[in-house]
Amino acid sequence: MSVARTPNLHSSKPVNLSDIWDDLEKGIFHVYSWQSMQKKRYMELYTHVYNYCTSIHQPTSSASIVKRRKTQTPSGAQFVGIELYSKLKDFLTNHLETIKPAGEGLSGEQVLIFYTEAWEGYQFSSRVLNGICHYLNRHWVKREHDEGKKDVHEIYSLSLLSWKKCIFQSLSKAVTNAVLELIERERNGETINTRLISGVVDCYVELGIRPDSTQSKGQQLDVYKEYFEAEFLTHTERYYISESAHFLENNPVTEYLKKVETRLLEEQKRVHTFLHESTQDELASKCEHVLIEKYLEMFHSVFNSLLSQEKNEDLARMYMLVSRVSNGLAQLKELFELHVYSQGMASIEKCRDTAQNDPKVYVSALLNTHTKYSNLVKESFAGDSGFMTALDKACGRFVNVNAVTTACNSSSKSPELLARHCDALLKKSAKNPDEAELDEALQNVMILFRYVEDKDVFQKFYSKMLAKRLVQQISASDDAEASMISKLKQACGFEYTSKLQRMFQDMSLSKDLNDKFRQHLSAGDSALDSVDFSIMVLSSGAWPFTQGPSFSLPLELQRSYSRFITFYTSQHNGRKLSWLYQLSRGELVTSCFKSRYTLQTSTYQMAVLLQYNTSESHTFGHLLESTQLKEDTLVQVVAMLLKAKLLSCDDQNITTESVINLFLGYKNKKLRVNINVPVKSEQKQEHEITHKNVEEDRKLLIQAAIVRIMKTRKELKHQQLLAEVLHQLSSRFKPKVPVIKKCVDILIEKEYLERVDGQKDTYRYLA
Amino acid sequence: MADGQSLEEPPKVKKAKGKTPTGPLFTLKKWNAVAMWSWDVECDTCAICRVQVMDACLRCQSDKKQEECIVVWGECNHSFHNCCMQLWIKQNNRCPLCQQEWTVQRFGS
Repeated sequence: MSVARTPNLHSSKPVNLSDIWDDLEKGIFHVYSWQSMQKKRYMELYTHVYNYCTSIHQPTSSASIVKRRKTQTPSGAQFVGIELYSKLKDFLTNHLETIKPAGEGLSGEQVLIFYTEAWEGYQFSSRVLNGICHYLNRHWVKREHDEGKKDVHEIYSLSLLSWKKCIFQSLSKAVTNAVLELIERERNGETINTRLISGVVDCYVELGIRPDSTQSKGQQLDVYKEYFEAEFLTHTERYYISESAHFLENNPVTEYLKKVETRLLEEQKRVHTFLHESTQDELASKCEHVLIEKYLEMFHSVFNSLLSQEKNEDLARMYMLVSRVSNGLAQLKELFELHVYSQGMASIEKCRDTAQNDPKVYVSALLNTHTKYSNLVKESFAGDSGFMTALDKACGRFVNVNAVTTACNSSSKSPELLARHCDALLKKSAKNPDEAELDEALQNVMILFRYVEDKDVFQKFYSKMLAKRLVQQISASDDAEASMISKLKQACGFEYTSKLQRMFQDMSLSKDLNDKFRQHLSAGDSALDSVDFSIMVLSSGAWPFTQGPSFSLPLELQRSYSRFITFYTSQHNGRKLSWLYQLSRGELVTSCFKSRYTLQTSTYQMAVLLQYNTSESHTFGHLLESTQLKEDTLVQVVAMLLKAKLLSCDDQNITTESVINLFLGYKNKKLRVNINVPVKSEQKQEHEITHKNVEEDRKLLIQAAIVRIMKTRKELKHQQLLAEVLHQLSSRFKPKVPVIKKCVDILIEKEYLERVDGQKDTYRYLA
Repeated sequence: MADGQSLEEPPKVKKAKGKTPTGPLFTLKKWNAVAMWSWDVECDTCAICRVQVMDACLRCQSDKKQEECIVVWGECNHSFHNCCMQLWIKQNNRCPLCQQEWTVQRFGS
């Protein structure tokens, strides 16, 4: 060794182990006997180790050891430490052997007290020792380790290994059992000293050192997992299996749910206070399995009754618990859907007879069910989208088919009633809600509208009733009308509402037109009319009106009529007007009765009444001739006037010979009398006609869809064609398969399509 | 009777026996008429796009230009959507229905 004579900085002569060991051992003993130590003394001990490690060893000093070193590590000559290392190892073993007997044979809390106290002291002392041997760790241990000696450890790790070998191996069983026993006592409601447990857990975690690392950093949880966690989990499982079975024998499921909820929370807290956090997930899943998954069927069996009893809190609890188990909710969702469906059906069944003719009753029955359960989903089921879907499915079923629709034998009764409900909301009436309420009511309509399958039926009825509201000027608010149209547009697109929108626009166009006409009249030299004339000009095609029966316009009206036509042709080019007398209205002032009445009449009524300016009695035939009305229309008009007691007639059945007199004794409390009231039977008929029209329109829509599809596909199998037609039209209505087939036949007849020869069920498009 | 009576010609009674000295038994005060307008055309459908002339043509429908889509009449009295015809005459300046030279007679407004 050439460097042998290099002088050492700290000590002039080489330090041998025997020189320092006695004092070092004394010091270490001091450390392990838990006595306080001066800083100076600590430095002394550190210096011993340092001196020993840094001194150059004479080959003679300890022949046997040098020999060993030569064979083992011929290169790393100046790093010495093996002797000190094995001395320390022996010391630790001896120390532990001396404290071990005190713990043997102990059990329960005793063994825990012994174990945790001994461990705390030992761990602290070992940390101090590690500090003292810092130099050894940094150089000799590191070097050995780098050279591949995996059985050499830092002194702290060495102390842990020694503890594991001496104390842990003999006591771990008793300790673990004692911990489990303590935990069980806590579960049973006793207060326990949790520090005992956390001490043991900390120790187990600390003992999990990596075998191939010099340091104890980067915990390995193998000891904790093997000696504690596994046992703990099986123990927990066993505990809860018996507890839950026992608890359920004496308590209802709702109580059990509460119990489980608190138990799960407790276990979570338990991990938090004295176990290792890595246990959390596995413990939770074990508990969930034993406490929830095993009882899913029982939960399912009470779910329905909880729903009907509206135990929302219990439902929320059940949802919360079951949602922790994978796939647990699927069955609940199905049950939920069924329940909502049957509730919806039942609520309609209850009001079946009134709801058929009272849209408000019908709509609120549907809506109540929806609101109730959508609130439940929001509040108790955390707005779970799966439950929302279940709710939607259920609502979709009972909104379209229920007691009312079967009673009316029509699946499109729902959209009709919904549209009529809108009409009631938007019509001027004594009980019009305020703006906010109205908007909410319309929002609610939209909720149900989403579920309606036959959206085309709704459209038909809605446009009919909107037209009436606009023409008769009985709409409560333009804003509300516009907002409803835009809601529908949002839901179904531009095309769905384009006609509604045009109707709405026509109203403001008409207003401008009237203003212009009035200006035109006052500017002109022609004498002002005593007749207060106004007009609505509607675009044909957008409005669901057809021209009424023609008749001979009373002279009194002709002036206004021809003046306006002149004006209109001067305003527009290429347009023609057709007059809708059945929708036109007017006012007549009477001077033949006791008081001066103002009668609000239809144009036809007007025409008939004006006849009496010439004579107080006419035959029906005469009226027919002079008004040029169709007989059935005139019969209705006359019947209405008879009913209003403006006219009188002695015949029960009116014939052309019947004499119809003006009834001069007419009396009414009001001075303004509206005799232009629709006949009930007319309304009903109108609804039926609307339903019938829907069927006809659908056939056209289906044919159009088929042509569109075939034009792009050229050739298609029957089944695929059906599927595409259904898909294309699904946003409007659900076409019936036989109807589609019929439409295909019509198109084949019209030579839009042909059947492909030799291939069954395939169609070809004919350009 | 009504104040405006002096301005109004007394109704020309068909059967000339007004019974009451004070004027007619029923006097018309007010008339709220309703009428429907449509293009004055021979055929309701535009032969080019196959949409009713009262509705906007397909292009205008998809561009949402309902108001601007007007009708045009040729000298031959056939009528189409003006937008459809504009495109048509770029290819062939004849009426698609009668093959006469296309001259505009009037536009709808």
